[in-house]
Amino acid sequence: MALLEGHKVSKSFGGVQALSQVDFVVERGTIVGLIGPNGAGKTTLFNAVAGAFKPTSGKVIFDGADVTGLPANAICRRGMARTFQVTRPFAAMTCLENVMVAAINRHPEKPRPFIEAFAHEKLDFVGLAEMEGTEARHLNVIQKKRLEMARALATEPKLLMLDEVLGGLNTQEISQAVEFIRSLRDRLGLTVLWIEHVMGAIMKAAERVIVLDQGQVLMAGNPAEVVADQRVIQAYLGD
Amino acid sequence: MFAISIMNGLVMGVIYALAALGVSLVVGIMNVVNFAHGELYILAGYFSYLFASALGVNFVLALVLAVGLVFILGLLIEYLLIRPTYGNDMYSLILTFILSIVLQNAYLLIFGPYPNKPPLWVSGATDVFGLFLYGNQRLAALVAGAAVIAVIFLIIKKTWFGRIIRAASQDREMAELNGVNTTRLNMLSFGLGCALAAAAGVILAPVFPVTPSAGVPVALTAFVVVVLGGMGSLWGCVVGGLTLGLVENLGAAFISTGYKNVFGFIILILVLLVRPSGLFGRAKV
Amino acid sequence: MTGKKIVWVAGLIVAGMCILPLSLGIYPQHVLIVSLFYVMMASSWNLLAGFTGQVSFGHAAMAGIGAYTSGILAVKAGVDPWIGVCAGTALAALLGLALGALCLKMGGIYLSLTTLAFSQILHIVIVNEYDVTRGTMGLQVPGLVAEYSKITYYYIMLAAAVLMLTILYRMIHSNLGMNFRAVQNDEVAAKSVGAKVLQVRVLAFTVASAMAGFAGGLYGHYLLLITPEIPSLDLQFKVLAMTVIGGMGSFFGPIIGAFALNILEEYIRVYGEYHVLVFGLVALVVARFAPNGLIGLWRKFRPMKTHLAVK
Repeated sequence: MALLEGHKVSKSFGGVQALSQVDFVVERGTIVGLIGPNGAGKTTLFNAVAGAFKPTSGKVIFDGADVTGLPANAICRRGMARTFQVTRPFAAMTCLENVMVAAINRHPEKPRPFIEAFAHEKLDFVGLAEMEGTEARHLNVIQKKRLEMARALATEPKLLMLDEVLGGLNTQEISQAVEFIRSLRDRLGLTVLWIEHVMGAIMKAAERVIVLDQGQVLMAGNPAEVVADQRVIQAYLGD
Repeated sequence: MFAISIMNGLVMGVIYALAALGVSLVVGIMNVVNFAHGELYILAGYFSYLFASALGVNFVLALVLAVGLVFILGLLIEYLLIRPTYGNDMYSLILTFILSIVLQNAYLLIFGPYPNKPPLWVSGATDVFGLFLYGNQRLAALVAGAAVIAVIFLIIKKTWFGRIIRAASQDREMAELNGVNTTRLNMLSFGLGCALAAAAGVILAPVFPVTPSAGVPVALTAFVVVVLGGMGSLWGCVVGGLTLGLVENLGAAFISTGYKNVFGFIILILVLLVRPSGLFGRAKV
Repeated sequence: MTGKKIVWVAGLIVAGMCILPLSLGIYPQHVLIVSLFYVMMASSWNLLAGFTGQVSFGHAAMAGIGAYTSGILAVKAGVDPWIGVCAGTALAALLGLALGALCLKMGGIYLSLTTLAFSQILHIVIVNEYDVTRGTMGLQVPGLVAEYSKITYYYIMLAAAVLMLTILYRMIHSNLGMNFRAVQNDEVAAKSVGAKVLQVRVLAFTVASAMAGFAGGLYGHYLLLITPEIPSLDLQFKVLAMTVIGGMGSFFGPIIGAFALNILEEYIRVYGEYHVLVFGLVALVVARFAPNGLIGLWRKFRPMKTHLAVK
């Protein structure tokens, strides 16, 4: 059974149809890319799935359960974590505290020393260990992205939803990031749904790619198929 | 009894609408609730008293000066206090609340606790529809208030400045992208909002006593009207203001005078519970 | 500061506070008692506004609920004031729960306006229902102890304040406190990592209101006269000013603000009733130029150090 399924997910804002009958599947233990030109509705889909708002119609099935319309915190507790396109750190709290917030909601019964050690380990994992006492507002963009990753991982998710994490990185950093995300799948067994504009990275890392255009699924297939598809090429050229 | 209450309701309603317009403008464009709105209303009353009574200035000039001075003060307040809070509505709420208290106490210090009354524009009373006698000053207030509201509507709907205001209150970012200097717009809007409070103040000052804390119920009422009518809606202010004025005065006449002000607050809570966007406001996504 | 050190320092301060009034006259003792009332009010308001970002204008009203409930029960039904205070606290907690739940779906401004409306409605009801509340004349109520003694009342308020501050301290440093701060920093992000945002906000309202009710109840029986000045916008302003000047969102800020402003008020009174104006001007300047209050300024000019502990 797939980890995440969307059935005819639709969302309209006032008169604007942002998502229209979106069907998709994310299999366990895979990295699935979500691409599409600007305004295609990728982040909107994330928001509808992760509970930032309710879909206007359609269903979202996560790990066998219908989670349609559940609030974001309930969905997080079921094992879905997400990052934000523009990072949202807890600015006036230290990096360690940022991750601790996720940790205490995951393990509310555990004592503070455990939580601190747990959070420290996650920060270490993303390479931010030496920043742990610094307030998040002092971090640069890339550090903030790493912090958001650490925070998401601290919720011990089954599914990690990434929203354009490679923006602003140079070639070497992109390579490292792709390796890192691959290791999440290979070593931690996570499933990843990944919105990205850096096409090369997606094509290298993802096993499957879903293409959105104007709120609808254009096609879904393996990277090679997607890259060669005429409709996909048209959608991007038209952008 | 009933007829007089209706008249009072209309007069107060028009004034409430005018005061609410000032609040609504600022909320719509800057997302700022000016707690000190009432104090600016009263300040205009104080100015009109100062100029007309104490200094013997021609009373029309006094009115214009009063409103003008408050407008300039509004610009100053925006520049000094409100501008740095942009984006953080809690911050501006706290600042304007403190400002409101500071102004009230300053008035107490400067003008003293006793009521001041600027001279009446017109004296005597008129027979209304042959039903009852009604004070001419109040009738004048009704007409003046309605006139100012009409002027504001004209400005907003017909002029270029009005179009900018409408655009900015709908979508600030878009307006900015289209070259609108939002900083200057904010300052002018805030000043205009204060000027509207001032207009309401000079209109009612001859009728109700001008005391340091008399502005508080005015601000609170303006907030209720804005919520009832819908944030950012001009028609909402008019309909909301008239509704509230009528409800209050009819309620005071037939239910209880002591509880007159309760109706507004109950209405506010009910509206926020049932239909937060108010009668005419835009529904939040 | 480590946990053990804090307990020692706190213990010393409390011990000092116990001895302090013995060397003071009746009026200074009164000032200290009033200060302790405001310490409780400001600290609990800080929980709402400073820690969960809910700027409530109904906090003074909650104190009024505590005071009037206890007072009316004592006068009309002969209920022992101590039980009355408990009843007042419970009612305030209940109303806080209701108000908090009401305001859940509202954004910041609407929440503030709703609490404002609530406080105004309460004020109007109290002023009008003369038969029950004696309106603006004030309700005369019995004291908490048979024999009136300033020192006794001082120790009662001190104990109450210490109790309240201990509860607040434990709360702030618990998981709940961390969630409070997260919600205040970024509610959407907090939700995305599993924080029960709605529960957190309603809980803060309930606890803060209960504390205000408790403080109000005790204060009323100290003053022996309960007037609509307690649930008034003026008292609300003083609470707000003390918190803002002391430092919103910090534990010690409201405590410092409360003592500082109350003592300052006495010095200003010599010249006339200008203290509210002065508070207002200071609060305005602080809010505009030093939004983190005195505590924020102190932190800025301390040597920088990064550390793990929550302040």
